[in-house]
Amino acid sequence: MTESGFTVDVDQNQYLPEGGRDVSAIVTVTSGPDAAGLSGPASAGGEPGSAEIIIIDCSGSMEYPRTKIAEARAATAAAVDVVRDGVWFAVVAGTNTAWPVFPADGSMARADSSSRAAAKQAVAGLRAGGGTAIGQWLQLARRIFQACPAKLRHAILLTDGKNQHESSEELAAAVRQCEGVFSCDCRGVGTDWEVSELRTISTALLGTVDIVPDPSGLAADFAAMMESAMGKQVADVALRVWTPQTATVKFVKQVAPTVDDLTGRRTSAGPQAGDYPTGAWGPGESRDYHVGVEVTPAGIGQEMLAARVSLVATSPSGAEVLGQGLVRAIWTDDEALSTKINPRVAHYTGQAELAAAIQEGLEARKQGDEETATAKLGRAVALAHQSGNEDTAKLLAKVVDVVDVETGTVRLKKQVEDADEMALDTRSTKTVRAKK
Amino acid sequence: MTTGPLPPARVCPSCGAPVEVTDSFCESCGTELAAPAISTPPAGYTPECPVCSVDPACPPAAISAEGYCESCGRKVPSGRDHSELDLGLLAGVTDRGLRHPRNEDAMALATTDTPGGPVALAVVCDGVSTSPRPDEASLAAAQAAVRALLTSVRRGDEPAEASLTAVRLAHQALAKLGSRGQAPSATYVSAVIDSGAITVCWLGDSRAYWLAGSGATRLSTDDSLAEEMVAEGMLAEADAMASPQAHVITSWLGADLADPRPHVARFEPPGPGAVLVCSDGLWNYQPQATGLAELALPAALTDPLGTAAELVKFALDAGGIDNITVVLAPFPLAPLATGPPHPPHRPHPAASDLTEENPP
Repeated sequence: MTESGFTVDVDQNQYLPEGGRDVSAIVTVTSGPDAAGLSGPASAGGEPGSAEIIIIDCSGSMEYPRTKIAEARAATAAAVDVVRDGVWFAVVAGTNTAWPVFPADGSMARADSSSRAAAKQAVAGLRAGGGTAIGQWLQLARRIFQACPAKLRHAILLTDGKNQHESSEELAAAVRQCEGVFSCDCRGVGTDWEVSELRTISTALLGTVDIVPDPSGLAADFAAMMESAMGKQVADVALRVWTPQTATVKFVKQVAPTVDDLTGRRTSAGPQAGDYPTGAWGPGESRDYHVGVEVTPAGIGQEMLAARVSLVATSPSGAEVLGQGLVRAIWTDDEALSTKINPRVAHYTGQAELAAAIQEGLEARKQGDEETATAKLGRAVALAHQSGNEDTAKLLAKVVDVVDVETGTVRLKKQVEDADEMALDTRSTKTVRAKK
Repeated sequence: MTTGPLPPARVCPSCGAPVEVTDSFCESCGTELAAPAISTPPAGYTPECPVCSVDPACPPAAISAEGYCESCGRKVPSGRDHSELDLGLLAGVTDRGLRHPRNEDAMALATTDTPGGPVALAVVCDGVSTSPRPDEASLAAAQAAVRALLTSVRRGDEPAEASLTAVRLAHQALAKLGSRGQAPSATYVSAVIDSGAITVCWLGDSRAYWLAGSGATRLSTDDSLAEEMVAEGMLAEADAMASPQAHVITSWLGADLADPRPHVARFEPPGPGAVLVCSDGLWNYQPQATGLAELALPAALTDPLGTAAELVKFALDAGGIDNITVVLAPFPLAPLATGPPHPPHRPHPAASDLTEENPP
């Protein structure tokens, strides 16, 4: 364990054949059992350094069925109960506009028994009515967060419908403004919402997306999300990738626990280096990243540093390197070395393909292109089987009839529950951890 | 201590004050007397990127702590790619070879006078490539061991006892470099050559040989799967060496092996010859003692440095697939020249840098 409490391990085949250019590595980042106290007071988890906002959909559709708004109120109350003492929190309601529910003046409150009780009382008075403009909700949350000194900012967004009362451009602009200000876990209740819409928000805001098909499941889900958020201790951690002058970063993807392509999220960090956001970290958390670099080949026997991958915490006092790993390239004429495929690289390449096959297959099915849908979902069935991703295999089996799991021969089911299809879509990016 | 007659008095090469042959340091100026010669980068060596330093379009770039060019990423020679050590009584050459990106072998030599006559000391360590920082491991082990041997032999310890003390201190040096999970590791072989015998001590598959016109023999046995299979009669030597496990070693120095069991062997040469201490980069291409004797003799009896360089060239010509280290000492030892020798250190570019395989 390094002094900072974070470890960075690199798994790769460093050997390239003569003229080889492509270097691929799995970088495993693990935070220590006590990641607190790293970057000053802002990082103390569950302490005054954290802020939480619950954003709750109060559009008219939340009344149908009536239990939806009731369960949403109960879930919000359950989440409020889990907010630790001293943490800043607020509740926001959204329709075609947004307003602060608690505190009513649009500030944030410190959690204690009386503020929690007051919040729950305010939430109990929520009624449904009006439209859906998620961009407005996010903008209000952003303004409330920005007036608060806490560094670890996290929101939970609940909706049951599509973003109908503002343009997709307005939503995209709002999301862009919220990037880097707070992270956001999104939940869709029922089956009338758009998976791709919420996934765009959760990906940009470094959070998760999931379906809660039955409103009665909301309270447990909200409490669990809040528990997880309370565990975060280090804010604003970035993966910094340095590469040689003539090299190019092809991609940087988080591959465990979920697939999340960070390639387009690069911000410059000085010459030959770029930062990719990873959000906040809790103690003992471990994630895998797949880094692909194209290098200029050198002669047989030569060695090159293809990438230096650092975990960097950014704070007003500057960047602090929490851990570091080296990705190497060595050119060899020994084919036994250069043709060896690193098993973890292979595993995660397969998991990323699995996620893509599911999303493309479901999209084709929606468009009525049964041939493509059958091929893509069949490929997904085979990949899930080969990699031991049983959860995804089970979700796939609700959408297709599996004829032969080895070859991925499937038939599309005639009748598919909307909730099953949406669950498969939202959970398609969940991966199985590759053994070390 | 001794009761016999002391060898003739000597003077410090630095200040000229008289010193005792058993002194480690000059009593008047503190200069280390007969300091061991170690295959470290020469003093004042500044690493420089071989690519960017000759490209006028490329600004001079810093070299990172891990030894990479901060501009083009190229691994920069550490100054250990090739070195030659000559102490007169014995000499050694180590080289990166043609296929490895760096030299993970290390060697350390020393000579000292004792009441019983001159003693020559040699240590060769080969970093275990699958462990972290193997180059640091081999150097730390060789360095710690040769100093321990020198102190122990000067104190009058028996060679076997001195050898075991040295390997223990080398193990401690490596334990400090890492932990059980991250353990820089190296093989180890030492030779203590005195007027009557050769005492060798080893862990792993670096070797010591006795080379002579007749009766050439290997003095060490490898801690390797191949050697174990041969010893148990499961395989013939040639078949074992051809197997993929031939180089899997079963013992080494490193924090991950809590209690290494070094082997010690003593050999009394029946006549003149030469002691060879080497890493597997040499013996891969000629494992037989008689074959090595044919390559090295008679030149090794009079020119240990030139012959060690010849043996390294032999391994490079044969493929140079691994790092190569060769130490030779003619036996019996010649008397030590008056005044402690100053260890010369001749850094050279690695032989592999001179071949056409590498871009300029």
